Amino acid sequence: MQLPPPLETKFNELAGRYPIKRSALIPMMLYAQDQFGSLSDEILQEIATRLDLNMIQVEETLSYYSMLRRKPAGRNHIQVCTNISCMLRGGNELYKHVQKRLGIGNKEVSASGTFSLEEVECIGACTGAPAMQVNYDFYEDLDADKVDAIFEQLQDSKKPKPSAVTAGALHDRAPGEVPVISRLFGVPNSTKIDVYRKHEGYQALEKALKMTPDQIIDEVKKSNLRGRGGAGFPTGMKWSFVPKDTAKPKYILANADESEPGTCKDRPLMEMDPHQLIEGMVIAGRAVGSHQGYIYIRGEYRYILDIMDAAIAEAYANGYLGKNIQGSGFDFELVTHTGAGAYECGEESALMESLEGKRGYPRIRPPFPAVVGLYGCPTVINNAETLSTIPAILRKGGDWYASLGTPKNGGTRLYSISGHINRPGIYELPLGFPLRRMIEEVAGGMRGGKKLKAVIPGGTSCPLLSADEIDVAMDYDSVAKIGSMLGSGGTVIMDEDTCMVDVARRIMHFYAHESCGWCIPCREGTAWLQKMLDRFHEGGGREEDIPLIDELSKNMLGRTFCPLGDAAALPTISIVKKWRNEFEDHLHGKCAYNNAAELIAGAH
Amino acid sequence: MTDQKKIAFTIDGRAVTTSAGTLVIEAAKTQGIEVPSFCYYPGLSLQAACRMCLVEVEKMPKLQTACTLVATDGMVVKTSTEQVHKARKDMIEFLLSNHPLDCPVCDKGGECELQDMTFRYGLDKTRFAEEKLHTPEQKWSPLVYYDAPRCILCFRCVRVCDEGMDVKALGVGSRGVLSVILPNKPDELACEECGMCIDICPVGALTSGTYRYQTRPWEMTYVGNPCAHCSNGCKTTLSVRNNEILRANNRDHSGINGEFLCAKGRFGYDFTSNPERIRQPLVRRNGKLEPASWEDALEEVARRLKQAHATHGPAAIGVIGSNHTTNEENYLLNRFARVTLGTNNLDHHRTADYAGLAAALGVRARDSLATMADVYNAPAVLLIGNDVTQQNPLVAWQIRTGVRHHGLQLYAINNLPSKIHRQAKIAVEVAKGGEHQALRWLATEKGQFDAKTTEALVQLKAGLEAEKDVVVLFGADIQGAAIRDLVSLTARFGGKTKFMVLGDYANSRGAADMGILPDRLPGYAHLSDSAERARFGKLWGGEISAAPGLAARAMLEAAVSGKLKALYVVGANPLKTFGVAQPDRLAGLELLVVHDMFLTETAQRADVVLPAASTYEKDGSLTNTAGEVQLTHRSIDPQGPRSDFDLLRILSHQLSMLGIGTPIRLRTPEAAFDEIRQNVAGYDLSPATLLAGGSELATATSKAPEAAYDVPVGAIFSSQDYLFTSGTLGRYCSRLTSTNEAKQTPWVSSPNTQSWWQR
Repeated sequence: MQLPPPLETKFNELAGRYPIKRSALIPMMLYAQDQFGSLSDEILQEIATRLDLNMIQVEETLSYYSMLRRKPAGRNHIQVCTNISCMLRGGNELYKHVQKRLGIGNKEVSASGTFSLEEVECIGACTGAPAMQVNYDFYEDLDADKVDAIFEQLQDSKKPKPSAVTAGALHDRAPGEVPVISRLFGVPNSTKIDVYRKHEGYQALEKALKMTPDQIIDEVKKSNLRGRGGAGFPTGMKWSFVPKDTAKPKYILANADESEPGTCKDRPLMEMDPHQLIEGMVIAGRAVGSHQGYIYIRGEYRYILDIMDAAIAEAYANGYLGKNIQGSGFDFELVTHTGAGAYECGEESALMESLEGKRGYPRIRPPFPAVVGLYGCPTVINNAETLSTIPAILRKGGDWYASLGTPKNGGTRLYSISGHINRPGIYELPLGFPLRRMIEEVAGGMRGGKKLKAVIPGGTSCPLLSADEIDVAMDYDSVAKIGSMLGSGGTVIMDEDTCMVDVARRIMHFYAHESCGWCIPCREGTAWLQKMLDRFHEGGGREEDIPLIDELSKNMLGRTFCPLGDAAALPTISIVKKWRNEFEDHLHGKCAYNNAAELIAGAH
Repeated sequence: MTDQKKIAFTIDGRAVTTSAGTLVIEAAKTQGIEVPSFCYYPGLSLQAACRMCLVEVEKMPKLQTACTLVATDGMVVKTSTEQVHKARKDMIEFLLSNHPLDCPVCDKGGECELQDMTFRYGLDKTRFAEEKLHTPEQKWSPLVYYDAPRCILCFRCVRVCDEGMDVKALGVGSRGVLSVILPNKPDELACEECGMCIDICPVGALTSGTYRYQTRPWEMTYVGNPCAHCSNGCKTTLSVRNNEILRANNRDHSGINGEFLCAKGRFGYDFTSNPERIRQPLVRRNGKLEPASWEDALEEVARRLKQAHATHGPAAIGVIGSNHTTNEENYLLNRFARVTLGTNNLDHHRTADYAGLAAALGVRARDSLATMADVYNAPAVLLIGNDVTQQNPLVAWQIRTGVRHHGLQLYAINNLPSKIHRQAKIAVEVAKGGEHQALRWLATEKGQFDAKTTEALVQLKAGLEAEKDVVVLFGADIQGAAIRDLVSLTARFGGKTKFMVLGDYANSRGAADMGILPDRLPGYAHLSDSAERARFGKLWGGEISAAPGLAARAMLEAAVSGKLKALYVVGANPLKTFGVAQPDRLAGLELLVVHDMFLTETAQRADVVLPAASTYEKDGSLTNTAGEVQLTHRSIDPQGPRSDFDLLRILSHQLSMLGIGTPIRLRTPEAAFDEIRQNVAGYDLSPATLLAGGSELATATSKAPEAAYDVPVGAIFSSQDYLFTSGTLGRYCSRLTSTNEAKQTPWVSSPNTQSWWQR
C-alpha cells in the first residue's frame, strides 16, 4: 500500500523505535487513523505486514481501545465528557445541548460529515469542567453559548482557539501552597530548556551523575516520597527492588496514562514542565542502571506528545539524554508513546502490555515489574508526577523534601480540586494538609454558598467522604485511617444538591466501560451494577436492590484480578452506606436533588 | 517447571509434601480435593481470570487464586471454608448474569462444566433482574459455530489455538462485558480445523458443526478407538446412538494423544455412513459388477482362486494387504497368502521403512523405539524430512508442547518449509531428496552444499552433539541404507537415542510388523531364516517358501505382463496408489478380488468385491507408527459388510474344502491376538493395559542388524496426505472435505506469527 510520504516516514521511524516491533502497533494505528479518518482493512493489513503480525493480533488490539475506530468519524470529532467532575458542573446538560445542536446522537456522524459526537469518560479536564475535546483539542469551562460559538467556527472550517493550558493550573498561589513541582506553572516559555535551566534545571541530574546509584536511591528513600499514581508505594523502596546484576536491559517507565476520574495533574506537569519529568527519568535510570525510558501518555493527551517530544529533542541536543550524558559515561535514551483510550492501561502491568502493542490486560503477579516488567525485563514504573518530583529531591535533599510533609508522607503533591467549589484548580500542597482547608481556603469554598455533602478525596476509586469526615489530614495514612484513600489527588467536591444515586450510577458507568473483561467478577459485576443503578436511578428500583447493590459490590471487592474491581466497588459501597436514605427516597419516587429529577423524567 | 526440591504445606488440614513450584490447585488434586476452575487448564498458560479457584491462605488477607499460587513451605491453605464457598457462589452468580439459562435446549447440556459447577457451587435462584446481552450465533466454518452469549471468556480456546496448535486463529475482541472471541477472518475461520477449541470449551459457546443439536449426550454410548486415519494412533471417542456415529471427540484424554485431536480424528468419522458405502457383495457378470449373496460371492472367490492355483500355480497369485486393517487381519492375511495360497507375492503400500529400521537396529530396537510420550519428554528431537504438521499432527503437537513446557530443542532437516520449523532451534532446508546427503555430511562433513546450508549444518551438528538424549524422527525420505547411516551417526550423540519412523496410515506399522512384505515373516524375520520359516509353517499348518515374492509394484507389472493371474486385494487401492492409470492394462489378470468399503479404482476393476467393515466396526488391534498397540472396537454394527478377519477365515474354510490349505481355526480377533502375542517378536504385550484402553509398545525387530538390507527404489513412498486428506478413505469423509482449507491442495498453514509464549 502506498502511504503518504509523511506517514511513510513516521511508520519507518516507529517500526525501528522499539525492541519488539509490535510496540509500534498502537501508535501506527493512531497515525493512520489521523491520516485517513478511520482504519480500513487495507491499512491494517499494511501495518500487520510491517510489524510481522497477523490480522487477528491487530484486530484484538484495535477493538480494545476506545479511540481506535473502523468507521469514519466526522471531520470534527466532538467528545463531550460527562464523567463525575463534568457532570457536577453541567456536563450532562452540555452533552444534551450538543446533541440537539448537531442533530446527532452518541457515536453518530452528521450527514455532511462535519461533525461526529461521542460521550466520553474523563478526559482529564476536571478543573475546567465541563469540557470537551474536538479531535485532540481541549475546550474547557464550557457552557451552551461557548459551545455554539465553537461549532460556528468549525462549521466555517475555522479552528477555534483551544484552551491555552489545563484550566485551573494557572492562578495566584493559594494560601498554604508549596510550589515544588509546579514552580514553573505560568512561567513564560517554561517548556524551553533555557528557561528550565535558569530555574536550576538539570542541576539535580548533574549532581546525580556524580553520585553512586545507591546514594541516589538512599536520597529518594530519605525523602519519604510515595507513588503519586494512587497506591502510594514508597518510591525509593521500589527502585531498590530492581536487580543489580542482570544481563537484561532495564527500563524506566513514566506512567502518564492519567485517567482516574477527577484527576488532571500529570497533564499540566508535562504541558508546562516537560524537562522536569525528563530529568527525573534520567536520574531514575542512573539510580537503577537503566539506559532506556518510555513515557506512556494517555491517547487523549495527544497534544502533549509534541510538547514532550520537543523537550526531549532539546535534552538530546544539550547532552542531557543520549550517549555519555554530560561526559559522565552514562547513557540514557527516552521516547514517548501514547495509548489509545483505556483506563485500565493506567494499571502498571496493563500499561506494559499496552506498550508492547497488546490489549491492556493486567499481568499475573508475581513476578513484579521490578524483576519482570516491560519486554520481560526489570522495569521501574512510576507515575509521571512521582518522577517529576525526583529533581527537587536530588537538588535540595531527601531530608528537606521529607520535612515538607508528615512522617512517612514526604513532600508535596498536586491536587486537582473540582466540583461544586468556587475555585476549581490544580494546587500543590504539602502532604498532611487538612482537607477542610483545601475546600474552604485553597479552593475558595463551596460554590453559591451551598452546603458540602460529599468529597471524593483522590479520584473515583476512593470511598467517598461525607461532610462530617473532612477534618482529616491529606496524607496516605490519615485518609486510610478513616476508611478511604489519598489516591491520585483528584479531589471532587459535591454540594447538598447532588443526587448520590446519580453519582453512584455515573461512577459505575465509568468502571463498566473501562473494565477490561479479563476476570469474571469485574466484567460481569460492573455491567450488572451499571444496569441496576440505571434502572434504580430512573425510578425502577426495588426494595431488594439496595442491599443487592451493596452485596454485589462486596462480591467484587478483593476478588478481582486487578484493582479495577475494587475501584468500582469501594465508592459504591461507601455511597450505599453513607447515603442509603437517598436510595430509599428514590424508591418512593422522591428525588429532591437537582439533575436526578430531570434524568428520571428524561430517561437517560 | 518443578524442580526436585520438596516442600511441605497444609491443605484442608492435611499435610502435603510436593515438589517446589507446584501450584496449589494441582497439589489439591493429589489429595482428592477439587478446587473448581474454568480458565485454569493444565499445560496452558495461567490466566487467574475466572476467579473460581479462590482459596483461603493463612496470613494472606485476600483470597488467593489456587491456579497461580505456588505452594511454599509451611503454607496453610483452606479450600472449604464459608468464605471460599461464598466466593464460588458469587462467581457463578456473576457468570450466569449474562449467560442464557436455557440448559434444556443448549447443545452442551449434560456435559457442561458451568452447569455442573452451578449444580455444585451455585445459587438456586437468580437475582439478575436486568436484560441479558444478546448477539446472534455465528457460523465460523462448516465445523465450528460460536455463540457469544454462552461464552464465559475463559480464553481456553484462544490459548489452545495459539499455544497448543501454534495457529492463532482465535483472539479476543472488544472489552469489558462486550468481550467476545474473534475468528481470524470476520465470518470464517482460517485454520487447521482441528476443533480443539470445541473440545476445550467448557460451555456451549463453541459447538461442532457435525454434531450440534442432534442428540443429548446421555442418549449416546461412548467408544474409545484409535483414529482410522493417520499413523499417529490418537484415541478418538465415538459417540454412538442408534447404530450411528454422531460425533468423534476427545472425551476423556485417556489416549496417547492426551488432549490432542486433529480434524481427521474429530470430523473424519462419517465415512462409515457414506451413501457410497458398499453393503452387499458384488460379482462381475457379463462384464458388470452386480449384487450377489454372500454365499454366491464367497463361492465364486473360492472356486476361481482354486482354478488359478491349479492352472497357474501359487506364484501366479498375488496378495496386497492394507494400511488400515487390524494386526489380526494382517496376521491372518500373511498366513492366508503364504500357507493357504502358498505364495510369497505379498505386500502392501509401504509408506515408511519400518523393516529398514528393524534391520538397522537389530535387537537394539527393543529399547530404541520412541513412543509419542518420548517425543514430548525428549530434551531434543532431530526431525528429518516429513511435514509433521500436515502428515503427523500428533507428533507435531508433542514437539510443540515439549518446546513450550520444558524447552525441547528441535533440530530439523527438510526439503520443504514446514510450520514446525517455527519451533526449531535450527532448521536446515535442503534440496528435494537432500536429507540423506545431509546425514552423510553430518557423519563425514563431506558433501555438496552451499555456504548457507553448510553453516546451518555445522550449527545443527554442534547442537546435536551437545544434547544428551535425542529422539530421531524420519519419514519416507530416509529408507534402506540411509537408515543405517542415520543409526550409525547417532552413535556419536551424547546420550540415549530413540527412533520413530513416520508412516502414513492407521496401521501402516502394523502391516509391516505383521509381515505383509514379500520377504519377511511377522516380526521382520527374513524368509531366509529357516528356523522362523519352520516355526510359522508349523503354527500355520503348511510349508513356507524361502524365495521372496514380488513387491506390490512388481505384482502390478506382472499383472500387466500376464505373469500374475490372480490378485487378492484387502483394504487397498493399488491401482490408484501405484499409478496404474489404465486398469485395462491388467487384462492379463484372470481374477481380481477386492475387500473394500467403497468402489475404489481397484474395486471397480475387480471380479468380486467383498464389502468390508471399517476399523470403527470391528474388534482388533492397531499399531501406530511408533509401535504403540491399541485395541479398536466394534462401535457400530457394519450393517452388511463383514470384517476382513471373518472374510479371510471363512474363505480359508471354503478353500480347504476345495483342497487348498487348512482352515483357519482362530475364531475371534482376541484368539488371533493371543497367537500374535505368543509368536510375533516384540508383540509379547500384557493385555491388561490394552483392555483398559491404554497402549503398549511393540518392538518388532529382526534379530541382528542386517548390513545387506536394502529396498528397491520406489517400493516405499508416502502419499503425502495433509490435514484434510486420508488416502482413498479421505475421499469419503464429507465433513472433513467441507472446509475452505480442504479445498486448497495442499493446504498451507502460514500465519506468519510468533506464538503467544514467545511474544
